[in-house]
Amino acid sequence: MEESGRQIADDIARVILTEEQIQTRIAEMGAAISRDYAGKDPLLVGVLSGVVFFMADLLRHIAVPVALDFMAISHYQTGGSSGTVRITKDLEYPLNGRHVLFVEDVIDTGLTLSYLLRTLRTRQPASLRVCVLFDRPKRRLIDIPLAYQGFELPDLFVVGYGLDAHEHYRNLPFVGVLKPDVPR
Amino acid sequence: MFSHPSEEEFARILDFYGITWRYEPVTFPLDWDAQGDVLEAFSPDFYLVQEDLYVELTTLRQSLMRIKHRKIRRLKELYPEVNIRLWDRRDFLRFLERFGETGREQELIGKEAVRG
Repeated sequence: MEESGRQIADDIARVILTEEQIQTRIAEMGAAISRDYAGKDPLLVGVLSGVVFFMADLLRHIAVPVALDFMAISHYQTGGSSGTVRITKDLEYPLNGRHVLFVEDVIDTGLTLSYLLRTLRTRQPASLRVCVLFDRPKRRLIDIPLAYQGFELPDLFVVGYGLDAHEHYRNLPFVGVLKPDVPR
Repeated sequence: MFSHPSEEEFARILDFYGITWRYEPVTFPLDWDAQGDVLEAFSPDFYLVQEDLYVELTTLRQSLMRIKHRKIRRLKELYPEVNIRLWDRRDFLRFLERFGETGREQELIGKEAVRG
């Protein structure tokens, strides 16, 4: 049973990115998006669920009209039967002719993002660009142009601000490294 | 077909995300004798077709990686147009962690300490 009163921040050994650093960078990204998409009425698309923190903060720093939509997909499970990604929640809006900005919390191998971009391109948006908060380039397999990029993460297992360990720690306002004795 | 469980898992992952791949499709000669016979060659594990990228997946311990690194350096010298990435045991472990997998490390990447 969960220890009563346990605080998730207590499981963090050290902070990699502070809340202030993250919010400052997001404000800069929002300003850049506001400039680039003025008059284009873009649709911001995110994949649930890690991106919700970044999306919510980013939207508050975008000064031009935008629309918002989310999708959800199945994730790979090791040792499972072979299969392919399934879209478990599709977008509500059609993309045909829209300027679409795909917003993602983190890019690592690029496999997931590559699949999603391929899928969205078939819906014929007027443009499709990518905005990523955390970039982890060391294990990149699929090169994807990033129109907006927040931070490059070190080669460490980190949690917080959308990044999870077994679905926990996403709600930390900063990014940090778990203590060695904490399950990951 | 695969020489290691980690390769089979990697192939499943690529299939899951719709990435077209080939397994050891090319052998690159790295060294020749005076008669032109190949003395040393290297066959990267995977080729990602759309990415034009070779991936070498290894679960060797860091202390045993020197030969692998040397071969890849030599390959890049001889074939600079070839794109290749090396995924070592730490890369694979981090990858598994992101999928929440913590129970099959020994099966997939061996029994040596993997967190270091």
